[in-house]
Amino acid sequence: MTISVKKVSLQRTARDQIFLPAILEGLLTTARHFFKNTFTPGHGDVQTIRWGEPGVTGKDYYPERFRGVHRLMYREDGSVRCVACMCCSTVCPARCIYIQAEDRHDDSEKAPQSFVIDELKCVVCGFCVEACPCDAIRMDTREHMPPTETREEAVLGKIDLMKRGGPSVAVQGGLGASYREQAPKADPRFGHDPR
Amino acid sequence: MTHVAAIFTHLTAFLSGGRRHGACLAALLGLLLVACGDEPPTATETPVAVRTEPGELLFHPDTRPVEVTLVNVSKKPVAIGRVRVDERSTDWVGFSVGETRQVVDADDELVPSESVGGAIKLAPGQRLKLHLGVDSGYFMGPGDAPVAAHDDEEAEPIAPDAYRTGMARLVFTVDGKDHRGIPIRFEDPSWAGQYLWPALLKVLLLVLGFIMPLASILTWMERKQSAMMQDRLGPNMAALKLGPIELRLWGIPHFIADGIKMLFKEDFVPRKAHRALYTAAPVFAFVPALVVFAIVPFGDGLCYTRMFESLSQADVSQCADGRGGTALQVAHIDVGLLYYFAVASIATYGTALAGWASYNKWAILGSLRASAQMISYEVAIGLTIVGALLVYGTLEPHELVRAQLGSYWGIVLQPIAFVLFFTAAIAETKRAPFDIPEADSEIIGYFIEYSGMRFGLFYLSEFIEVIFVSAMVATLFLGGWSLPFGMLGASGFSSPLMAQLFFAGTGLGLLVLGVLAWRTAKSGELFGAVVALVGVLHLFGASWSLFTGWGTAVPHILVVALWMVIWGGKVFLLCALQLLIRWTLPRFRYDQLMSLGWKGLLPLSIANIVVTAILVYLLMPGSTPAQ
Repeated sequence: MTISVKKVSLQRTARDQIFLPAILEGLLTTARHFFKNTFTPGHGDVQTIRWGEPGVTGKDYYPERFRGVHRLMYREDGSVRCVACMCCSTVCPARCIYIQAEDRHDDSEKAPQSFVIDELKCVVCGFCVEACPCDAIRMDTREHMPPTETREEAVLGKIDLMKRGGPSVAVQGGLGASYREQAPKADPRFGHDPR
Repeated sequence: MTHVAAIFTHLTAFLSGGRRHGACLAALLGLLLVACGDEPPTATETPVAVRTEPGELLFHPDTRPVEVTLVNVSKKPVAIGRVRVDERSTDWVGFSVGETRQVVDADDELVPSESVGGAIKLAPGQRLKLHLGVDSGYFMGPGDAPVAAHDDEEAEPIAPDAYRTGMARLVFTVDGKDHRGIPIRFEDPSWAGQYLWPALLKVLLLVLGFIMPLASILTWMERKQSAMMQDRLGPNMAALKLGPIELRLWGIPHFIADGIKMLFKEDFVPRKAHRALYTAAPVFAFVPALVVFAIVPFGDGLCYTRMFESLSQADVSQCADGRGGTALQVAHIDVGLLYYFAVASIATYGTALAGWASYNKWAILGSLRASAQMISYEVAIGLTIVGALLVYGTLEPHELVRAQLGSYWGIVLQPIAFVLFFTAAIAETKRAPFDIPEADSEIIGYFIEYSGMRFGLFYLSEFIEVIFVSAMVATLFLGGWSLPFGMLGASGFSSPLMAQLFFAGTGLGLLVLGVLAWRTAKSGELFGAVVALVGVLHLFGASWSLFTGWGTAVPHILVVALWMVIWGGKVFLLCALQLLIRWTLPRFRYDQLMSLGWKGLLPLSIANIVVTAILVYLLMPGSTPAQ
């Protein structure tokens, strides 16, 4: 058995050389799309998410695991869950998290005196969420970082981050058994459970 | 009130074109108005069996002898005798009627003239042609007392080396009875009145009324149309907010937002750029693109004083010649298309200077590519047009369109030249598939360093060039302002049926478009309603024509408006076609571009010239270069 070599002819036919039939075919294809999309109610084949249209919010279209702008979670007493272990700022590839620790007076844990994320530097990799041992930082807001007038406004401090936050169901100091069960349910519109 | 009544009677009379129903309608309206308690009705003139073309003669000092045609519009033959300048008129000595009399039939074929006792017999539909000349020397100097334009003006004395105005009347007899004839005027127009003001008005109308709005809309249209072709939505967010009302209009306000953005952006100049040339380059790109529009005709001619009458082609030609009106073309230059080549090649300086003055290697690469491309394709453009010149025998765009009216459109007689010219002209605009000077993915192009409105000028001039290419294709190959099959003449539609066809077709088209726009989106409801309403109005026009036979005698101003709308519609559709091409075809490589230009278009256009020349020599024996 010999190896057969398939020879492909690169010779152009006369039809290829005069260009025009192929050009007309292409024009007809694009024109068909144009007329269908322009004159069909609901814009025909257009699949674009209709940002800013009345009754449409971008959040509706995001999967559950979309990584949005960060938030910091609370304890039951409303204080920040973060214990300033520096895991997130260590793992951050963009080095956009700056934490200064202080004493937490009710028990022996630490707490962040300041917790600053520069959203302009952030590459939205989500490593900080993975690294966090106590479910303090999350990126499940389904929100893009909103545009800002100045660079300073894009640097979020502890207060800004906690505004989006909420109480966490996780047991402080370790993973609670019920964390997975009480996490937000998958959006039924996506037809599959991302978990 | 009486004036209103008279105007109304005349209005209905010319709207009905003298038809029976129209006359009845006019009489009815006249009676109604008379019944309101005004003056008694004026005596109507007896029906005129002979129409004169033009209906009014105007001479300037340098006017050559003018052809006058007498048409028999009645149902029976008439005898026309004693054609002369009326001796009772003020300046009858200044004008002279030529000796030759030619009788032609409706198809402009010579027929032997029948002379009965000095009078020439004209069968129905036949025309008598004669010539009228002027002796401008008679009107030179003080001479007789000049005629004041108005009664309350005092006549100014005429200097010895100036012309004065003169008046006379050309009269003849029809079947022995005196015809009222044609008024003749002689005047020496002022330079401003003849050239400056009409040109300024036409420039403003064309630039501010058509080119700039269309170019701005095209910036939006390109984005929207490309989006629709690629199953995207495109720009749709900008809105005009008028209090509670928010007008989205499919994102049309985006072009306003773009303009504002460009005006307020930082005006950046690279540190090592050549400041003067860097500033001059956008102007060099923008100005030729606008100036070249001077030769584009967007209508035949406009008569100042007789806008509400139905005028014959001879009248309109006289006005287009500058006598009593103006041609609907900014500059009537005999070298027409050569002017286009001359000015278009100046635009090359814009790109070359922009690239060189920017002190940027990508920019200079882009400008070198642009220069090479434009120079290569100008050769092809020049040669493709020669075929059309051989067929129609003129370089002047206005004359070219008239020649197409007389025979066939250029696309029928020169189909290959149409494809070649369109291709080469798109290459000349430096847009895809010929956008290697810009080549977004490789070098960004010769304007890479430009920002703000300087970039805006390059951007806008690109779209103005698109419009110009469309206008040129419409002028050379698609009959300019005319409708196919000679549907629309100078006096109106060729028959009531044609008027009905035109209005019904346009009305149905607009109605369908309006309904579709209404159905498509909520933002389209207002627009769709307006378009559908205009369509319904057209349908009303069609049915009006169906019942009254209106359409063959249309007031001049309406005909002019139709010409402009038809011309604008052709240009707009061709612009949309160019956008379609631009977003369908991928970019040529540099070597492909050069080989297409030099090995494809150039030999083909030369072959086209040779074949056309042979065919013209064989099939059109009359059109020798001597004529």
